[in-house]
Amino acid sequence: MLIIKNLCKKFNSAVILDSVSLRVERGEVALLLGKSGVGKSTLLRILNSLDKADSGLVTVDGKMLDLSANQSNLTIGMIFQQWNLFDHLTVEQNITLPLEKVLQKSKIEAHAIAHKLLVQYGLETKADDSIMQLSGGQKQRLAIARALALNPKVLCADEPTSALDPLLTHFVAENIQQLAQEGLTVLVASHDTALISQLNCTIYLMEAGKIVETAKSEAFRAHKEQYPLIHKFVGNH
Amino acid sequence: MIAVMHDALPYLIRGTLVTLQIAFFSSLIGFFGGTLLGFIQTSSNSLLRFLVTIYVTIFRGTPMLIQIPFFYYLLPEIGIELSLFATAVVAIGLNSMAYISQIVRSGIVSIGKGQREAAHVLGFSSWQTMRYILFPQAIRTVVPALLNEFITLIKDSSLASTIGVVELFKEGTIIISRTYAVIPVYCAIALIYLTLTTALSCVAAVIERRMNKHAHH
Repeated sequence: MLIIKNLCKKFNSAVILDSVSLRVERGEVALLLGKSGVGKSTLLRILNSLDKADSGLVTVDGKMLDLSANQSNLTIGMIFQQWNLFDHLTVEQNITLPLEKVLQKSKIEAHAIAHKLLVQYGLETKADDSIMQLSGGQKQRLAIARALALNPKVLCADEPTSALDPLLTHFVAENIQQLAQEGLTVLVASHDTALISQLNCTIYLMEAGKIVETAKSEAFRAHKEQYPLIHKFVGNH
Repeated sequence: MIAVMHDALPYLIRGTLVTLQIAFFSSLIGFFGGTLLGFIQTSSNSLLRFLVTIYVTIFRGTPMLIQIPFFYYLLPEIGIELSLFATAVVAIGLNSMAYISQIVRSGIVSIGKGQREAAHVLGFSSWQTMRYILFPQAIRTVVPALLNEFITLIKDSSLASTIGVVELFKEGTIIISRTYAVIPVYCAIALIYLTLTTALSCVAAVIERRMNKHAHH
């Protein structure tokens, strides 16, 4: 379970996150919805220690994260918008390198974990290929597999569908749902309203660094008028 | 003249070998030292970055013609006794370090910050990020510049003659002082330098082509 309490962040005088609080249960998907620049990505970056919060606290399964630490917390994984795969490594090495160098797994162990994930994500025949040989969808799957290899409890995905066509968007949504069903806590930052119809999630609409409306996706789909801000956002996009 | 050149040839070959040795050893110092300085220049330690910037400014901003004699006189003063050859290698290597540090730095900076961030999120330390993620990618982009630097070192090694190292250029001047065959000997020396640098340029082109081909697969 991920709990975020009163998270604040300013860049110079601009307020990026204004006392953001949310609670995502284990096996739940939280969709941070909003336009570009409302603070969604910053929130994910803070959780992954890529940015520092000014104040607030974050706990994962009751354990408080050190938000001022320079070292990343491996209980939270991240899938980047541009995937950020390591171009100089093969598909399999993208998964095995962190396992060997960070988790100190043996080559055999790392290979076994990578192979299992590559099979799971339909990339086993691509193991020795370079990243440049992969399609967008395959890169996306590899990014997920790489993040999962480190066995995180929380998985963050920043605009996971922005570079994908509608068919792949559907696949990614299915994948995210599947990960949640397997017990991961998933946090998705996106402006893609198509995800609302494809995910069973809690929607958090963000505006100017604040969560301004919250809704369960099923409830929103059934009673859109009860959620005017999300309804308006969906209408505009 | 043919007889002069015939007699001079063994000396010129000997000098060529010394020239190649100076270029090789000073490029080793330049590469490893320059890589380290390049790492430091992209690190978050502002004091070390500042010190490296001073180093680079001094070595790039003064002629090697001054640096080599400077080390020749300085090293014994501080209790370091080196042969003429080693003194020249150290001086040229330290100079090369300054240039190579900038090549390596630019290579590292050219790698998108996404790679650094991905490594951070996956738990790599700063050093591991440099060693396993940034440097291997940076080195590919800077190989042509590094090979150019080595070619420059071959020519710069002639400055070792200023402290009496008998490399190719010095061998030539010795032959000239004996035979007065100024133009033929200078032409021969120039031809040898040209052959070496052209051959290396060809090797550099082949390596560059291979790396580009590799990068596209």
